[in-house]
Amino acid sequence: MKRIHVEIERSSRSKRGEEVCGDDFKVKRLAGEDRYIAVLSDGLGSGFKASLLSTMTTAMALRFVSDNMEIVRSSEIIMDTLPVCAVRKISYSTFTIADTYVNGHTRMVEMDNPPYIHLRGAEEVTHEKQTLASAKHPERKLLVSSFDALPGDRLVFFSDGVTQAGLGHPGHKFGWRREGCLEYLQAQLRREPDVSALELAARVVAEACRQDPAKTAADDTTCVVIYFREPRNLLLLTGPPFKPDKDAEFARYLADFDGKKVICGGTTANIVSRELDRQVKVQLPKVRERLPAAAEMAGVDLVTEGILTLTETARVLEAPVPPLDTPGPALRLFELLHNSDVIEFLVGTRINEAHQDPSLPIDLEIRRNIVKRIVRCLEERYLKECEIRYI
Amino acid sequence: MDKIRVEICVGTTCHVLGGGSLHDLEDHLPSRLRDQVEVVGAPCLKACENGNYGDAPFVKINGEIMAAATIDKIIARLNRL
Repeated sequence: MKRIHVEIERSSRSKRGEEVCGDDFKVKRLAGEDRYIAVLSDGLGSGFKASLLSTMTTAMALRFVSDNMEIVRSSEIIMDTLPVCAVRKISYSTFTIADTYVNGHTRMVEMDNPPYIHLRGAEEVTHEKQTLASAKHPERKLLVSSFDALPGDRLVFFSDGVTQAGLGHPGHKFGWRREGCLEYLQAQLRREPDVSALELAARVVAEACRQDPAKTAADDTTCVVIYFREPRNLLLLTGPPFKPDKDAEFARYLADFDGKKVICGGTTANIVSRELDRQVKVQLPKVRERLPAAAEMAGVDLVTEGILTLTETARVLEAPVPPLDTPGPALRLFELLHNSDVIEFLVGTRINEAHQDPSLPIDLEIRRNIVKRIVRCLEERYLKECEIRYI
Repeated sequence: MDKIRVEICVGTTCHVLGGGSLHDLEDHLPSRLRDQVEVVGAPCLKACENGNYGDAPFVKINGEIMAAATIDKIIARLNRL
């Protein structure tokens, strides 16, 4: 089955007046298995108590599902472990678990959250659900279902803050309801078929709050969107191949690649230019920048200088937000990387001796190391899928 | 008459050794030279690898490499052409 890029995002607002949200959400990627597990929980009540319940629930659920523990047993343990509320005399939280593989195969387990919505384009896809319950807690029903998501599909689930938005106010006898949310989602997707997971989740939560006359959240309101996308590929070439007889293969790889293409390095650009017979046009900036100028080449999305630009880009990736004074070439490279899902680095390992000249005023990082640093950040912080190949 | 072609190297070594300051060359050209000179960037002139050329930053003027380029040196050379 084709590889899909799974984008999982959440938007949430606390109940008005509460400092802490009683809903909790956790997501984990199990790299060795190409699998994601996402859990949403709504704790009884609101504020810190609710947050405690939901946080314990998501942590346990995530753990049990990762370990492939049987689901009824897992939910029993969760229900038995949650502290009992002194006022209400019960312990209670809900959960929705999405267990999905990168080939699209997905299993859903729901307990007492509004039923999830599976969308293909703007159309809903429904699934049969199996009902399970533990003997110890027969009233807490678990609904289990599974399906194979296709590229372009979306999975949306939420806490009852979404479905009960506006409840009790004129025009919303039963609240916004799942139907109201579904209609809204479909309208959004018809207008904007490629909307990102984050944007869509944020819009649902905002629209839910709008159902209330005060236009704020009457209850903890959380929406999760899982978007099964065609991955956006990017290839970055940097450094001349160790052996010049590999130059043709190097350039050919770029030409044949399906996705965005970046070249970092003047010598690298010259090699590709020569092999593919394409001109490199340097765009000298009007205002002098900290980095050397970027260039253009037909069929390539960005051509920059090598080490300095890569080092600056690493800094931008590691910063909380791109600093305002980031020079153009690094900012453009950052944006290309940020908007890609699967990134391949093809690193030529021929050392540029001039870079090692001790009279140079600054320390130039070795190419392999700066690439590794960038990849580490892309994988850990941005959850990108990266590969480094040396040539 | 063909314009004189000045290529400024924007490679790593040239930039680190002051190449960035050469980008303003056009603004510093005396008015009589401005129409006669075309200033472009070059991704890498490969001059630093070969120890024979001297020091970066490098500039190519009508195909001829100049080492340790400065704006004044370039203008002086252009005047002689």
